[in-house]
Amino acid sequence: MTIENKKGWISWFNPFKYGTDRWMFALHRLTGIALGLYLIAHVWETSNILNGQVTWDKIMVDLDYPFGAHYGPFILSLILIVAVYHALNGIRLTIVENGLMLPKPYRPEFPYKAKSLRGLNNLLKIVLGIFMILISAIGVIFIFTGVIV
Amino acid sequence: METLVLKGFGEVVKTVTFRVRRYDPEKKEIPKYEEYKVPVQKGMTILDGILYIKEHLDHSLSARYSCRMGICGSCGMIINGKEKLACQTQILELGKDLIKVDPMGNYGIVKDLVPELSKLFNNHQSVKPFIVREEEEPKSEFLQTPDQREKYAMFTDCILCGLCLSACPTSASDELYLGPQALAQSFRYIVDNRDLGFEERLNVVDSKHGVWRCHFSGACSEVCPKGVDPALAIQLLRKVMTTNIFVKYQQKGATRGPERKSALGVS
Ligand code: SF4
Ligand code: FES
Repeated sequence: MTIENKKGWISWFNPFKYGTDRWMFALHRLTGIALGLYLIAHVWETSNILNGQVTWDKIMVDLDYPFGAHYGPFILSLILIVAVYHALNGIRLTIVENGLMLPKPYRPEFPYKAKSLRGLNNLLKIVLGIFMILISAIGVIFIFTGVIV
Repeated sequence: METLVLKGFGEVVKTVTFRVRRYDPEKKEIPKYEEYKVPVQKGMTILDGILYIKEHLDHSLSARYSCRMGICGSCGMIINGKEKLACQTQILELGKDLIKVDPMGNYGIVKDLVPELSKLFNNHQSVKPFIVREEEEPKSEFLQTPDQREKYAMFTDCILCGLCLSACPTSASDELYLGPQALAQSFRYIVDNRDLGFEERLNVVDSKHGVWRCHFSGACSEVCPKGVDPALAIQLLRKVMTTNIFVKYQQKGATRGPERKSALGVS
């Protein structure tokens, strides 16, 4: 009797050995899930304004000092980086998944490195990567100092 | 025990351990790993290693293979965590002393390293992998320029090994997903200038488990042993699909060459 051998959704997070695009896929899933959870938490957080100013102020302080220390800005920075990654990679995927910035069909040559995962697709990754670093840096500086660079 | 050497290979370089996932359909036990020590000679592939085990260490080990030269696409398995053809992977090139061999994922297991590939073949069939024309028996050939051939030629190299479906993260969670192999083949026929089957393929490909399920993780193109680049085919197919919404995709169907007569005068 044959048995099932499905890798299952858990294998989304096993990008090892499959190249950059596979890593970015795993990160995209992970950041997507994280943002989804953040959105729910965010709606809960802001809904507390209905409970009056005292509750609201207390929640603001609690969120700024989770686990008894001033971790708030670090967590906020992390959320920002996650969102920026998800947005920029989403832009890249919208472009390449519609067949743009990809090579024309070509002749495969040993050692058969796939051109769709390289070339202009790689250029996009680099350009958007630089954008990600810039936007995140500006955002993180703002979160910590309140200064917009 | 003296080490047995295989004829036709170089001298024994070292001994590596094969950790092979075993499943016996008659015992109804969950698959488990078994280890074998294999003396490696220069030039030995993973398939040679498996055959060494079968001949000298454990006759009950099963694997599927045929050509031993990367043509038939029978020997796909997961070697050290990555989908590869066993007959095309040199043991010494891996540079490891422990080699983990698993059957391909996302298919059933018949026994040990033998996957159940009917899903692959059914999906392949469902996209009509042939030139669709009304005529029963064409009497002359269809004309095609070299440029028109270049548009699909690379995708004809597919040997149906199924490694791409095993590596694909969408196939891992969606049982009904057509998979990179079938989608690449549907693109191969859709852009062939002799074909007239776009509409017929549309309802299979443009469906919930069809082309839109791809998220371009590129794993298929990364593992394909023939450089077919199925991920490229899927994205280009999507381009055809989205453009089709605005401007209908036209298939003219190649014109016919002159009718030929055979030497005997019968066409
Ligand atoms: S596309 Fe490549 S990996 Fe997939 S079945 Fe064909 S040859 Fe194998
Ligand atoms: S045995 Fe034919 S491809 Fe490996």
